[in-house]
Amino acid sequence: MEHLPQDPRPWPVRRDTALQDTVLQTTLTHVTHRLNNARIAAYRHYPSGEAARIRAIARKREAIQDWSVLLDRAEEEITAHGGHVKRAATPEAVGAYVLEIARQHSVKRVIKSKSMVTEEVQLNAQLEAAGLDVRETDLGEYIIQLAHEKPSHILAPAAHKNRQQIQRLFVDTVADAGEEVSEDIQELTRFARNKLRQDFLSADMGITGGNFLVAETGTVVVITNEGNADMVTTMPRVLVSIIGIEKIVQDWDALEDIIQQPALSGVGQRLSSYTTIISGPRARESWEGPDEWHVVLLDNGRRKIHGGPYQDVLSCIRCGACLNVCPVFQQVGGHGYGSVYSGPIGTVLSPLLGGMDAFGELPSHLCTMCYACQEACPMDIPLPHEIISLRETAVSERREPAAVRTQYRLWGQAWSTATGYRRSVTAARLAQRLAIRRVGLAAGWLHTRTMPFVSSVTFLEDWAKKHRRGSS
Amino acid sequence: MQPVYLFVTCMVDSFRPEGGIAAVRVLERRGAAVDFPADQTCCGQFSFNAGYHHEAAMLARHFVQVFEGSDGPIVALSGSCAAMVIHEYPSLIADDVVSTGGTTLEAANWKNRAVLVGNRVVELSQWIMRFTEEPSEIPNPVISSALHQGCHMRHLLKANVEPEAVLRQCGINPVALEDADQCCGFGGTYSITEWKVSTALADSKWDSVKQSAQDHQIACLTSADLGCLLHLDGRQSRLGEMFPVMYLAELIDRADQGTLMEIRGRSVKGGSHGRDTSR
Ligand code: SF4
Repeated sequence: MEHLPQDPRPWPVRRDTALQDTVLQTTLTHVTHRLNNARIAAYRHYPSGEAARIRAIARKREAIQDWSVLLDRAEEEITAHGGHVKRAATPEAVGAYVLEIARQHSVKRVIKSKSMVTEEVQLNAQLEAAGLDVRETDLGEYIIQLAHEKPSHILAPAAHKNRQQIQRLFVDTVADAGEEVSEDIQELTRFARNKLRQDFLSADMGITGGNFLVAETGTVVVITNEGNADMVTTMPRVLVSIIGIEKIVQDWDALEDIIQQPALSGVGQRLSSYTTIISGPRARESWEGPDEWHVVLLDNGRRKIHGGPYQDVLSCIRCGACLNVCPVFQQVGGHGYGSVYSGPIGTVLSPLLGGMDAFGELPSHLCTMCYACQEACPMDIPLPHEIISLRETAVSERREPAAVRTQYRLWGQAWSTATGYRRSVTAARLAQRLAIRRVGLAAGWLHTRTMPFVSSVTFLEDWAKKHRRGSS
Repeated sequence: MQPVYLFVTCMVDSFRPEGGIAAVRVLERRGAAVDFPADQTCCGQFSFNAGYHHEAAMLARHFVQVFEGSDGPIVALSGSCAAMVIHEYPSLIADDVVSTGGTTLEAANWKNRAVLVGNRVVELSQWIMRFTEEPSEIPNPVISSALHQGCHMRHLLKANVEPEAVLRQCGINPVALEDADQCCGFGGTYSITEWKVSTALADSKWDSVKQSAQDHQIACLTSADLGCLLHLDGRQSRLGEMFPVMYLAELIDRADQGTLMEIRGRSVKGGSHGRDTSR
């Protein structure tokens, strides 16, 4: 299995499909605008939020820097509370471990709360291949699971679908014969909730992701908008939390600042609607909670990033703010990226985790270099520079066609001298007079736009003419 | 008279020299003694953004050599190119010195030279706001203009009030576009290498301009960045439309001359350009 799932369709196909999908265009604009406006308003109405954000950045960067020590600490604490910790290097290792626990406990039905990391390791596919029933319980994840699709937004996995499509999907998949399904959003939600109730009650294993792992107490913190993680963590007999190792935070003091950020930047709330705190399996005197709790700490390429030039991406809290402001994301949506991680963060993270062979085109083709993401990111991750740096890697690894490399080299040489520059402007003017403009780099422009003409007298020539007699 | 060094940018130089000529008039009318260092070429952002850092560094070093050794503001006719010089040059050049075998001392030296030059760079509307006196009275607007704020002006220079303020001083009512902070899709070479997405973004931007045209009486679309305007204008002209698109310096120059009322073109048509990117 590859480190990171990849859509087999090449970028041009993904792009054209998205650009022609009118439903996607409408729903995506709606969702991203709503979330982005909420983010801006949330910070505006919460003046001390900015100070918390600055502290959060510092603490999170420290936690990433010291993650070995902190992860050991977390492991000790979890074990002390009766939990089990498994360090997993690869997606297969996660799958194998979860299946082994499932076997020990004769698990047949699994319920999950929303988790990007389980998307990353394609856990559902691994469990289903072994004959388990897996049910996503976050509404958006539930929808895309029924549709056999991947999330199109880190936070809003079904952002590409409208309610008519969802209604039809429910009728075609989970509605009983003759059962009425309304197109009304409230009704759709109620319908899903009723269906999910049955799944909650019959599940033997719960699986969560984790937004934070607090080292000092070995606590896993999951934030949701629907409260489904509360049910996932309390109802089934066995609970597994799967967490990327970069989710580590040192203590509750740091958490207090950091936990506000995904809420503020992701959905524009001071605090997420539900915060689920998992500190261990059910204690002897307690009457709720799982009999067993397993925490899987996933590497899958993260350690390779640590200590290198991209270490800052490990501070990402997956709030999705960068997606909501990205012009390219607005046009092509999450599926355009061909990776479970989309938008600017996906553009950086996907090639780092999944390799340049698979995802090298993301930095070069899915960024206009507008810097909106840098301004939006609450964790101050320098996404544009990281994207440029990945482009530089592509250039130095000679992934660009030789002809393009040569053009840039000649361009650089010519334009670093005044005479070279003047000569090439004259050459361009000549070329366009001879109408040989449909070649080279310029061809792409002409498909959809008229080309401005190189002026018959450039500014420089005009200036030289006016100032020839040393009048300036 | 305040000495001012004009950085005309390769795009204005080749494609819109009238913009540079207008800028000189605008500067001189406001008391600047304009010098144009004639050996200047291009800031190198095209290469830098595409990942060709050695090539970009060659251009950056050339730029520093051309503009250092004088004093006084360097007025850039593009917010994006100004941001490139100010924010990227110091580390770009220093890294390149090291990676091409130079010593760290040489790198530090170059970095310092780049910082000194960068500290002097301002975009035209920034220069007007910083170095000239504000008129005691804001004139009644003669026309309204849609204002497209380029992304690097907005996010890197954070020059988000200057263009508006300058327009107001000039009797032009600036109209912010719907979704003003959305990129127009130009993105330098992105407009060429990924022309489909680039064009889809241009179409969205025109949709916003049309919205403004419906809600306000706008005479034209303006921006401090010519690159965005060439891209947007090229798109509308391919679609057979002729809404006036005016580079900021030319618009100010017209205001100075009292010829704003003459801006005429066909107004933006209603309806959507659609997403047909094949045309
Ligand atoms: S990169 Fe920043 S903005 Fe994007 S998801 Fe991560 S934390 Fe949020």
